[in-house]
Amino acid sequence: MKPLLILTAAVCCFGQAFLDPAKLLQPPTDSWPTYNGDYSGRRFSPLKKINQANVGGLTLAWVRRTVVAGRQAGGGTNAAVIKGTPIVINGVMYYTIPDHAWAIDARTGREIWHYEWPSKGGWHIGNRGAAAWRDTLYFETPDCNLVALNMGNGKERWHTSICDLEQFYYASVAPVVIREHVITGVSGDDLDIPGYIESHNARTGMLEWRWYAHPEPGTPEATTWPSVEAMMHGGGMTWVPSTYDPGLNLMYFGTGNPQPVIAGQGRAGSNLYTESIIALNPDSGKLAWYFQPSPHDTHDWDAVQTPVLFDADIDGKPRKLLAQASRNGWFFVLDRATGEHILTSEFVKTNWTLGVDAKGQPRLNPAKQPKPDGALVSPNQGGAINWPPPSYSPDTGLFYANAALAWSVYYLYDQDDKPEGWGGNDRSGYSEAMVQAIDAKTGKIRWSHKWPGNGGGARSGLLSTAGGLLFAGDTNSNLVALDPANGNPLWHAGLHTPLTNGPITYELDNTQYVVVGAGDTLYAFAIR
Amino acid sequence: MRRLRLAVAGTALFGPMLLGQAGPYERQKVDVAAAKRGSALYAQYCINCHGAAARGTETAPDLIRSALVLRDRLGSELGPALQRLPPHNAALSSGQVTDLTHFLKQQLEATARNRNPAAPPNVLTGDAQMGRTYFEGAGGCTKCHSATGDLAGVGRRYQPMDLQQRFLFPRSTKPVRATVTPASEPAVTGEIVKIDDFDISLTDSSGQYHAWTRGPNLRVEIEDPLRQHHEMLDRYTDREIHNVVRYLETLK
Repeated sequence: MKPLLILTAAVCCFGQAFLDPAKLLQPPTDSWPTYNGDYSGRRFSPLKKINQANVGGLTLAWVRRTVVAGRQAGGGTNAAVIKGTPIVINGVMYYTIPDHAWAIDARTGREIWHYEWPSKGGWHIGNRGAAAWRDTLYFETPDCNLVALNMGNGKERWHTSICDLEQFYYASVAPVVIREHVITGVSGDDLDIPGYIESHNARTGMLEWRWYAHPEPGTPEATTWPSVEAMMHGGGMTWVPSTYDPGLNLMYFGTGNPQPVIAGQGRAGSNLYTESIIALNPDSGKLAWYFQPSPHDTHDWDAVQTPVLFDADIDGKPRKLLAQASRNGWFFVLDRATGEHILTSEFVKTNWTLGVDAKGQPRLNPAKQPKPDGALVSPNQGGAINWPPPSYSPDTGLFYANAALAWSVYYLYDQDDKPEGWGGNDRSGYSEAMVQAIDAKTGKIRWSHKWPGNGGGARSGLLSTAGGLLFAGDTNSNLVALDPANGNPLWHAGLHTPLTNGPITYELDNTQYVVVGAGDTLYAFAIR
Repeated sequence: MRRLRLAVAGTALFGPMLLGQAGPYERQKVDVAAAKRGSALYAQYCINCHGAAARGTETAPDLIRSALVLRDRLGSELGPALQRLPPHNAALSSGQVTDLTHFLKQQLEATARNRNPAAPPNVLTGDAQMGRTYFEGAGGCTKCHSATGDLAGVGRRYQPMDLQQRFLFPRSTKPVRATVTPASEPAVTGEIVKIDDFDISLTDSSGQYHAWTRGPNLRVEIEDPLRQHHEMLDRYTDREIHNVVRYLETLK
């Protein structure tokens, strides 16, 4: 009996767990096979079974609560927080929190397997999700490992180190698979360490290349730092998964804040390649172009928000474009083949610039740098937007950002010529949260939907669909479907806590599901 | 028990073979007394080249950013390095090297936490008289506040940084209120319990709870006592802020 059982299991699970690589190149329908659903970062689904006409009937399909013991549960507390976007392949959903991965039935939420990584430590702030290649699942652990699991049974295939805990790095990013490359990013900004991104072989885990978020000494870009020493300790973490254009064979991601974070007096210059949108060749790790949304940042405004890829006519000519709504409150559109700047606009009111320079980059207002006695700045450190993913709908041509108008006071604590670490911080503040619908061709705000009540930014990602729906979390605990054309609320469901990840959708056996994570719980909705 | 625990800890920390194995990763715990001794050693032997804050000088590297120091446990890396690297000719005992690592780790941990201030910053940089002029004039503060009324003694009650924060981002002593008017029922006014796009609930002056589903026939008027404070955030200059804080601080 035993051999037969094993054989059956192998057949069933190989069939169920195999990701067809072609799925990664199409908009998602019966799957959600990568962090953003597909390589474009649009988080737009062509599904329309759930649409404006019937969304009123959208109802709970299943609920799954995540209960694990110990501090390995995420968010720095003992309560699990689902910050990752689940992926769905062949009817199975895979989701993560720090040190844990699960496979569950995407139709019912029932657990298929659970994997727990024996952690050595690292900051358990969150895990952004998993990636898949054929029948292998990959995720990063806070103690700096990339772990590869058999998608059929959750058993470990291999693991490999991607950063050094001793230097206060940790890992939280969702990997991205591009052909046979598993692309990994790193986290950590307590000390002055450089950010980087790596490619590992999907079969073996072997390191293929590493690209540091700083220039090579001696290059023109290196003059954006006062010294090689400052540059080599200059930060630029890679917190958010890449997008990818298979035609151009370029991957795109943003880099985080320079180090020291707030006290910038020891790193005069624009500090490349921190706070930059980066285009790399995924086979070689070679830089194709860069653009810097926050030159010489001193406000912790990581420019890591998803670079969203879309095509549109600009001045009558078809262009391959990339857009980012950046944490500093500014929206950028670039030509993604060349990095050529197309437009820059403000998507919430900010007060830290003196306009925009010839390259389309904001010009710093020195008065709004952190000061020993405080400088009132918008946005605050949390930002006009943070890591939660935005959405772009090709149907409306609008870029959607769950944004905040947020004020705080930035203080400089360390006035030494050579500060280290943070050396300052912001404090307190006032904020209003809203969804901003930005015309991706002009940068103008087409509509703005303010979430009622004051305080707090909504830390939810967005999802738009061909059914004429924009799913978002509000500042209360609602999952809301807005009309993507004008922002009017069309449907909502009250959850037990605010959304903590990006919503996804997929269709199985003629039923379209919408799934969100809120705290420790996954909620699935469908029309029955 | 105590001796046993110490022995186990010692093995784990000194055995480099053990460091690579599975199990919790721990940074060196700083022994404050040892760090104090290490500080004196640092001042005697290291400070001239590595600098007052161990952040390096032109002649010697930064020890806070040093991968060697980061990896060190109780001298495991520093001890051999001091013997290996030429300019280090001080004859330090292994106990002294350990003390030195406690001092360096103490500096390193402080750096990793320096998003919090070691001491409150001085925010009293403005001009009290100009602050008063703004308070009584352009700022419009006296429409609601009085230096001899609600704000009397405010400079005594709060530290200057808290005063600055509370002036810019006041914590409401008065809740946000709303008046809700249904189509064919009398209006109700009360404190907002919860409001979103879909529902609103209030507690009225008698403590009674009311709730409605929002819609086109339900009028909701919100009365935020801090609305003017929120709107001012886009108008203040930092100079005005510092002047007002300096003035408020004089209201002892």
